[in-house]
Amino acid sequence: MKLLRVSANGFRNCVNGFGIDMIAKSKKTSEDKEYELLEIDEGLYVYSTIAIVGKNASGKTSALELMDWCYDILGTFRLANKKCSYRGITLEIMFYEGGFIYKYITELDNSETLKDTAIFRNQKIYKQKYYKSRLKQILEESWMSECMESAEMPEDFSAIFIVLKKTAIRELYYNSYAEESSEYSNTFKLMEVANLNTEYLSYVFRIFDDKITSMKQLDENNYYLVYKGVGQTYSDKELFRFLSSGTSKGINLYIIAVLSLRLGFDLVVDEIENHFHKTLVENLVMLYKDKKVNKKNATLIFSTHYCELLDLFHRSDNIWITHSKDKMEIDNMYNTYGVRTELLKSKKFYQNAFDTAVNYEALMELKKELME
Amino acid sequence: MKYLIMCEGPNEKKIIDILLDNNKLVVELDDLVGREAYHARQINKSPMVQGQLRIYGGEVEIWRIGDKQSDKLIIPSEYRAQVKNIVKFCTLPELEILLIISENLYKEYEKTKSQKHPKQFAKENIVYNRNRYKGETKFYEEYFGNDVDKLIKALHKYRQQNHAHKNDEHYLVEILK
Repeated sequence: MKLLRVSANGFRNCVNGFGIDMIAKSKKTSEDKEYELLEIDEGLYVYSTIAIVGKNASGKTSALELMDWCYDILGTFRLANKKCSYRGITLEIMFYEGGFIYKYITELDNSETLKDTAIFRNQKIYKQKYYKSRLKQILEESWMSECMESAEMPEDFSAIFIVLKKTAIRELYYNSYAEESSEYSNTFKLMEVANLNTEYLSYVFRIFDDKITSMKQLDENNYYLVYKGVGQTYSDKELFRFLSSGTSKGINLYIIAVLSLRLGFDLVVDEIENHFHKTLVENLVMLYKDKKVNKKNATLIFSTHYCELLDLFHRSDNIWITHSKDKMEIDNMYNTYGVRTELLKSKKFYQNAFDTAVNYEALMELKKELME
Repeated sequence: MKYLIMCEGPNEKKIIDILLDNNKLVVELDDLVGREAYHARQINKSPMVQGQLRIYGGEVEIWRIGDKQSDKLIIPSEYRAQVKNIVKFCTLPELEILLIISENLYKEYEKTKSQKHPKQFAKENIVYNRNRYKGETKFYEEYFGNDVDKLIKALHKYRQQNHAHKNDEHYLVEILK
């Protein structure tokens, strides 16, 4: 399964049709095919990395959360614990599975019996066989006319089950801001599920803090850490503080990235540069662009304030820019701004080509007040 | 000091990857910047190469792999201190000459070379496992990937048969073990 497109009406404070398209549209050079694109069927390319940029409070996190919602539905057939009302939201999800393109449309509402759980209404699933010659039509969507029969399901269970049938990890959402000591526990759980060799841990430790020799999970909340050659037992909270939140975040994100690359699920990261040295962020982005590492077509989707990271992108149609007007909007850099690929995107950013510059007047007003 | 291998096309990269995977080059993955060869013509047009150069930060010798490579390699100012040497390894006039040599069609090709490029000749005359050569990377994978000795033989034969290289155009056999 590969997600191709998501859009929503009534989602947060976003305009109707707010969403992201993962199908490559602009010219595909052989270098793009090597690094920027993943071919999931003949001639059907999606991105290996997607960046979302924009000012503070412009909708970057909303865009990532929208994707996270859609991945949740595709992975578990449920939507819960999003800490908001689901009423009045319509989602449209397009994905590829086993030679077919599916479009799933559903209205959401709040469950009356289950806390913070969405129910699905008026669900429709369209299905079409993928042919390379029909790629243009997919983009136009007009050819999607075949509606699948929907089975009777519990109202909090998505009808997309009849297509995908099995729950699976389709994506992990990594919130760089969340200060959660349970991160270690979640990461170890995932490593167990994925049967990931614990040797990976030592490689990651060496990147972030070479004083860590080894770490072993004793039970759900306790760990045995060998640091500077001395072994000691720590609870998850103690460990999170002892290794500093930056190191903990880094270790966890890198291990999740390893899992994503090994298993082929997508990774969504809000503000990827948080807690990281720039080189480590660049390295993470490049791992996803490298087909010798990213063998199972995983996609890294991230938001960032580091516009220099965009210079790692050869294309521009895999970069999205959010704007806060009356409502939050999202534009594609290629569609809306037509940026030539040979131009340094960071330079364009500093020239405010995408209307993302910080408000200079507001900065000066604060400075003026401080100077009084 | 590490080596930065820049292949001008995906097919050149496939040839180098096959040699690397089979441990046939004088360098190993650990000797290469980012532990791999890159598909990149110019540094300033390859975010991947630039990113890897930044992460490595040390001195490099660049090996350019391609056919004529008449375009000069421009080293962006921020990487100039890192680049100590540039060496060109060529397969003239086009990479397909290796397939032509391997198929013992070189004499046939010579008869038509004034009218046909090797690529065109290969498309018209080379079929492997019932697949006609159409210029795709997959063909090289299938043709040489399971038989690296066939590739090495072709590279040696190419050296023996091709005397058209200029002084700065090296042969791929020079970097074979």
